Amino acid sequence: MIKNYLKTAWRNILGNKFYASINVAGLTVGLVVGLFMLLWVQDELSYDRFNTKADKIYKIGIVGGTGISKQIFNNIIAPVATYAKAEIPDVQDAVRVMNIGSAPFRYKDKVFYEDNFAFTDPSYFSVFDFNLIDGDKRHPFADNNSVVITKEIAAKYFGKEDPIGKVVTLGQDEQLKVTGVIPDYPANSSLKYRILLPLSRFNDLAYIKNKKTYDNKTFISTMDADWSMFGFQTFLLLKPNATMSVAALEKRLQAIHERNKPEDAPVPYLSQPLPQMHLYQADGTDGGMSTVRTFGIVAIMILVIACINYVNLSTARSMLRAKEVSMRKIIGAGKFQLFLQFMAETTMLFVIAAVFAFALMFVLLPYYNQFSGKQITLSLSNYNMWLCIGVTLLGTLTASSIYPALLLSSFEPLKALKGKVTIGIGNAAFRRILVVLQFAVSVVLIIGTLIIGKQLKFIREKNLGYDKENVIGFTMRGDMVSKYDVIKNELAKNPSVVSVTRAGRDLVTGGNSTGDNDWDGKPANSNMWFNQIYADKDILSFFKMKLADGAGFTGAVADSAHFLINETAVKEMGLKNPIGARLRVQTVNGTIIGVVKDFHFNTMHRKIEPAVFQYKPNDCWKLYIKTTGRGAQSAIASAEQVWKQYNGDIPFNYVFLDDSFKKLYSDDRRTGSLFNIFSGIAIIISCLGLFGLATYSAQVKTREIGIRKVLGASVARIIGLLATEFMVLIVIAIVIAVPIGWYAMNAWLQDFAYKVSVTWTVFVLAGCGATLIALATISIQSVKAALANPVRSLKNGE
Amino acid sequence: MIKITNLEKFYRTEEVETIALNKLSMEVNTGEFVAIMGPSGCGKSTLLNILGMLDDPDAGSYVFNGTEIAHFNERKRADLRKHNIGFVFQSFNLIDELTVFENVELPLIYTGVSSADRVKRVEEVLDKMQIMHRRNHYPQQLSGGQQQRVAIARAVVNKPKLILADEPTGNLDSSNGNEVMELLTDLNEQGTTIIMVTHSEHDARYSHRIIRLLDGQTVMENIMV
Repeated sequence: MIKNYLKTAWRNILGNKFYASINVAGLTVGLVVGLFMLLWVQDELSYDRFNTKADKIYKIGIVGGTGISKQIFNNIIAPVATYAKAEIPDVQDAVRVMNIGSAPFRYKDKVFYEDNFAFTDPSYFSVFDFNLIDGDKRHPFADNNSVVITKEIAAKYFGKEDPIGKVVTLGQDEQLKVTGVIPDYPANSSLKYRILLPLSRFNDLAYIKNKKTYDNKTFISTMDADWSMFGFQTFLLLKPNATMSVAALEKRLQAIHERNKPEDAPVPYLSQPLPQMHLYQADGTDGGMSTVRTFGIVAIMILVIACINYVNLSTARSMLRAKEVSMRKIIGAGKFQLFLQFMAETTMLFVIAAVFAFALMFVLLPYYNQFSGKQITLSLSNYNMWLCIGVTLLGTLTASSIYPALLLSSFEPLKALKGKVTIGIGNAAFRRILVVLQFAVSVVLIIGTLIIGKQLKFIREKNLGYDKENVIGFTMRGDMVSKYDVIKNELAKNPSVVSVTRAGRDLVTGGNSTGDNDWDGKPANSNMWFNQIYADKDILSFFKMKLADGAGFTGAVADSAHFLINETAVKEMGLKNPIGARLRVQTVNGTIIGVVKDFHFNTMHRKIEPAVFQYKPNDCWKLYIKTTGRGAQSAIASAEQVWKQYNGDIPFNYVFLDDSFKKLYSDDRRTGSLFNIFSGIAIIISCLGLFGLATYSAQVKTREIGIRKVLGASVARIIGLLATEFMVLIVIAIVIAVPIGWYAMNAWLQDFAYKVSVTWTVFVLAGCGATLIALATISIQSVKAALANPVRSLKNGE
Repeated sequence: MIKITNLEKFYRTEEVETIALNKLSMEVNTGEFVAIMGPSGCGKSTLLNILGMLDDPDAGSYVFNGTEIAHFNERKRADLRKHNIGFVFQSFNLIDELTVFENVELPLIYTGVSSADRVKRVEEVLDKMQIMHRRNHYPQQLSGGQQQRVAIARAVVNKPKLILADEPTGNLDSSNGNEVMELLTDLNEQGTTIIMVTHSEHDARYSHRIIRLLDGQTVMENIMV
């Protein structure tokens, strides 16, 4: 029996190659895109869950500032972890990580700049699933000169040699002995530190040897006594039987902080389950989850469109199979047997599509990974991925097979044989609803594409309030800061260098903030935070920032007690006459000498926050060079030459500010490109479905068209007659899609503090676009039907 | 074998009610060959469909082999049909995607006959219909006469007690038509009851008895000698 089903199915496919191809193409494209997107979603949702204790690990953060300066800090002070472990019974262990960023490491004649270098507690290797595969598991760090590295780093530095006991040099002369090796991190790990040094080493360097102080009076004995330095990612592991609520934990942490540093109060604490770290902000607000959700919905939509497409095409063609079905019934086929037969047909077509889809995915995977920033492999061992693929395939198959099978197996044989095909109004209406649904989805996607494109253009072209064109930047090392003037003069000799300046932070991506401030008339309840920008005297002219009031730094000694603040800060502070007003930032007491016009020193996702410029040339580690543009390469060569004078063989790393700026919006741009692709594909598949319906309609109406033609109807009128039926559907789809698109895109734009407005032109454009595409699709069939010879169609229609 | 009494069938549209069968009564005995004739619209196809259990009557009684089946639901009728009745149509109604062999095999598949038995029985009947040499051809590769022979082979492969033929020669030329009538006569002689709807007086002469219908009623019966 099954053999017979499959045989018939196969011959049906061969006998109708055109329709089979449309069906297979639609399903294949739908499956490839749907699966790729769902794999992306699955990967995003799987972050950090591989940690066996993930549900008991909490990442700790705090909320700083009030009003517009309210910020979430993911790095907190060091002592909280120690106190929490000692004082809160439900806390089993704590891990702190201090991310250093990049530093050069040397082994023999090899020098590498390592980005993921950090100090951490030994508990890092037991709280997370980052157990040592080489070295002493109980004591990952033998002493303060120990270093633990990943397998990848071990291979990079030592090749096949045993890494344990090898000595590497950090910077110029810090000798470190490898005492442990951990496996490489899974791609879906938020933590990816590849070189780990004991936090006790940092304590030793910063507090014991260097005598850390904030006011040049009191020396802080240890990092566990430093309640001011917000530099530690902190994770708490709760006991397996812990009963403490998240809120209670946060309260306890806040109490610890406020007891030890009352002047910080109130300082609300946040605790976030480890698996949420990747997609949510510490306070539970969105940090990528909405994109994941959108992609998930769009993936399902595309699969639904592909299913609808199949259902439409196969039911439209079912009238042609009425005779066969009837005959099978008359000679004894049961409804269930026929149902199985048609299920078998769909399954066969589906298997073909799935095979094509897999082949295509295999070919496209490298491009997909490059595009999506993922490292997905179609390996057999990835159980979750296959589960995702399996469920998708089964779901899609079920959705597209049952209805056509039910419809076909329910034909009344007598009527079908007589040619009175029983595809009644109900069925046609159902198919129309499906087409409306398809097009509504497509129109929503077009609207999305247009608005995302508009917003990205807006970001690209918005006046940032500073000039980042042709500027390269790099972080100075060692003696470079003290020799800055020499370096500047050296660089200025190159005609390609327009100007040089230095600052304490990257203007594009942000940096330190402080809530430790005071000014005349500061309201008692204000907890405003400043973004701190340490700068040299020429920073405003270098970046072409404008003064709204007052004057800039001159480089005079007095400038160390002078502040420039931005317009937002003036507003937030409530200052009527900012110039000359007294301001204290941390330990510096001084006066405001100028107001800088607001500029975007963060992403457009965030409102411009209060900022303060402080004249601290000796704390300016970032060196910026403005080049002539054309001479950029020459300027870079000069910079590299200078770099080598001070740093020998340590590689020279620089960035163009334009690139850092682009990187800020790489997620947004990716969303934009993906939407372009999705809406394109959704439209293609929808058009296939529409084409199917138009074909069906032309077939059903062959006789009617014949009669009309005999009676004198023109070809144009007949095309009009056929097209009108569908254009009504498209218009309904647009009407449904517009409010949904409007709502969805407004929600997306909510994420931007600076955004375009959603205007009616977008909807008109999307509507017209969809209408034109649909019209073109329908015309193919309509014209064919209208041009057909009426004599033949009347004869066949009998 | 068949006894129908006061059989009625109406076709309704919103405004018009057409009487297809008007209190029709008739009887067909096992082994008979009956022809039903009459002008277009007299109800002969409707009658054939009801006799073939493809359609149900609006009123009256239909006793098949001693069982009243007028009130049977579709499923029961289908079950009775597949074991007892074979159909032959004017337009053959072969399935284009299946070969000659597979078309004939189909009824056996649906009645659950084992694979080995199926091959045996299909070959047997193809041989009898002299179409064996075409077993692997598709319907569209055959002449009309050959197609109708395949259709008859398909109708008889399940060894039905009754064959219902709806203008079996309607789409054939006279020589092919005669061949088909000879085949039906042979089958009848071997014991199969045949009821045939036809417009052709020539074909009707192959039967034992002609029932003439007009406006859904029997107007005349001719016994052939």
